[in-house]
Amino acid sequence: MELMNNVKIKSKNLNVYYGEKQALFDVNLDLNEKEVTALIGPSGCGKSTFIRCINRMNDVIDICKVSGNIEIDGVEINDKNLDVVSLRERVGMVFQKPNPFPKSIYDNISYGPKIHGKGETKSELDEIVENSLKKAALWEEVKDRLDEPGTGLSGGQQQRLCIARAISVNPEVILMDEPCSALDPIATAKIEELIDELKKTYTIVIVTHSMAQAVRVSQKTGFFHLGKLIEVGKTEKIFKNPDNKMTQDYITGRFG
Amino acid sequence: MSNEHTVKSYEEELRYLIDSVIKMGSLTESQLVDSMDAVIKVDKDSIDKIIKSDDEINKFRSKIDTQIMTLLVKRAPMAIDLRETISSLKISQDLERIGDLSKSNAKKVKPLPLDLPEELLGNLKRLGDLVIKQLNDVLDSYVNKNYGKAKEVWEKDEQVDDLTYIAMESVIDFLSKDKKNLDFSTHLIFATKNLERAGDHITNIAESICFLIKGEYLKGSRPKGKVIQQ
Ligand SMILES: Nc1ncnc2c1ncn2[C@@H]1O[C@H](COP(=O)(O)OP(=O)(O)OP(=O)(O)O)[C@@H](O)[C@H]1O
Ligand SMILES: [Mg+2]
Repeated sequence: MELMNNVKIKSKNLNVYYGEKQALFDVNLDLNEKEVTALIGPSGCGKSTFIRCINRMNDVIDICKVSGNIEIDGVEINDKNLDVVSLRERVGMVFQKPNPFPKSIYDNISYGPKIHGKGETKSELDEIVENSLKKAALWEEVKDRLDEPGTGLSGGQQQRLCIARAISVNPEVILMDEPCSALDPIATAKIEELIDELKKTYTIVIVTHSMAQAVRVSQKTGFFHLGKLIEVGKTEKIFKNPDNKMTQDYITGRFG
Repeated sequence: MSNEHTVKSYEEELRYLIDSVIKMGSLTESQLVDSMDAVIKVDKDSIDKIIKSDDEINKFRSKIDTQIMTLLVKRAPMAIDLRETISSLKISQDLERIGDLSKSNAKKVKPLPLDLPEELLGNLKRLGDLVIKQLNDVLDSYVNKNYGKAKEVWEKDEQVDDLTYIAMESVIDFLSKDKKNLDFSTHLIFATKNLERAGDHITNIAESICFLIKGEYLKGSRPKGKVIQQ
């Protein structure tokens, strides 16, 4: 028997609408703890919509309506009374385009812990900043210029800064929406290596358009098409011998 | 493959690779037929031609290798395409080995006497015919992506083992009748053994085809016939 990690996040009959338009249809998907799950599928199939449900980022879109359930550690997060701020502390997010604040490298990292009431003193914050940058494999490159603006870093460094920022509040889950699509192969390799390291501590969900990246970084892969989860399974299985014809057509480049 | 690739040149490259394997297969098959013919008829004139055709087969093999490498770096094939690529690699290796064995058998014709006993030749011919049929069937199952047929070939190797046993016995019988036969007999023993080995490569090909079609290897061990003590 192969060892499977516990389920960390569970979506049950998840439906999402933008106004009249339905973007997700009855999505049932389990994401395992301390594992990387890759979400793939053609543009507009609902990958971003799905991961935005995990930290309730869709709340900020007026016309967006979510029904069904998302549980983290068995607790429903679509509950009206749930504290969204503390949810987002547990579920961090990294976007396609690195988006550091127009502030110093130091402030980029310490901002989150400060508003979440972590790190009372300067030395506590210093420690969080250093640890987060170390975990994001950026410390060596920036330790002597922490007061310089984060926007002055290279794209790959900025993306690692954003990962450090996500880590700084000590989340349980990290959502990554095409985190490497603006990066060169070396910067991409560094992020992928980092993801491998981070999965020892965090549950990671990554949206990617690169099949090879999905194979390299993930243990589980879900394929979406037109808002439906078509197939989900072990990454190896999905890319060597998927069960569904649509999955096969997509990953082999026989689509549309 | 039902649908075509969105990128047409990718589709063409894969098609071209599969065609190369098919062509290499039919070349290997006619070489095996020729070498078997040469042995049975003790036809020493055709030996050179058979040895030459082996160069042709080897050339195919390196051409296929190059095609595969290009496909891997250019397309990073996935799923069915990945299996198609990997099985071409494996099948072409087995075909090349079968070619070597046919060549080796052709070379054994030179020292043979023209008056070998009927029964011995008959037993050898039956083995050769079966191996040729097996190769023909396995190539057919490759062209038509026929899982059932490939599996049948795999199972039928048992009969190759049995006929090998019978052919070996008649060679040993021939040898024991007259010590002067020792020289020829050694060649005939090797030739028989080569046919059995060709049969094993054919079952490897059958396995590759099953993997190609279903994405999993045939389970369990294949039925074995009588085995010669070595
Ligand atoms: N804010 C929005 N308002 C209205 N419709 C939206 C909004 N965001 C997404 N959609 C629609 O929902 C569907 C799913 O979009 P989503 O962004 O989740 O797709 P995706 O799989 O992430 O695509 P991509 O690979 O291009 O990022 C699309 O049809 C899209 O047009
Ligand atoms: Mg998206």
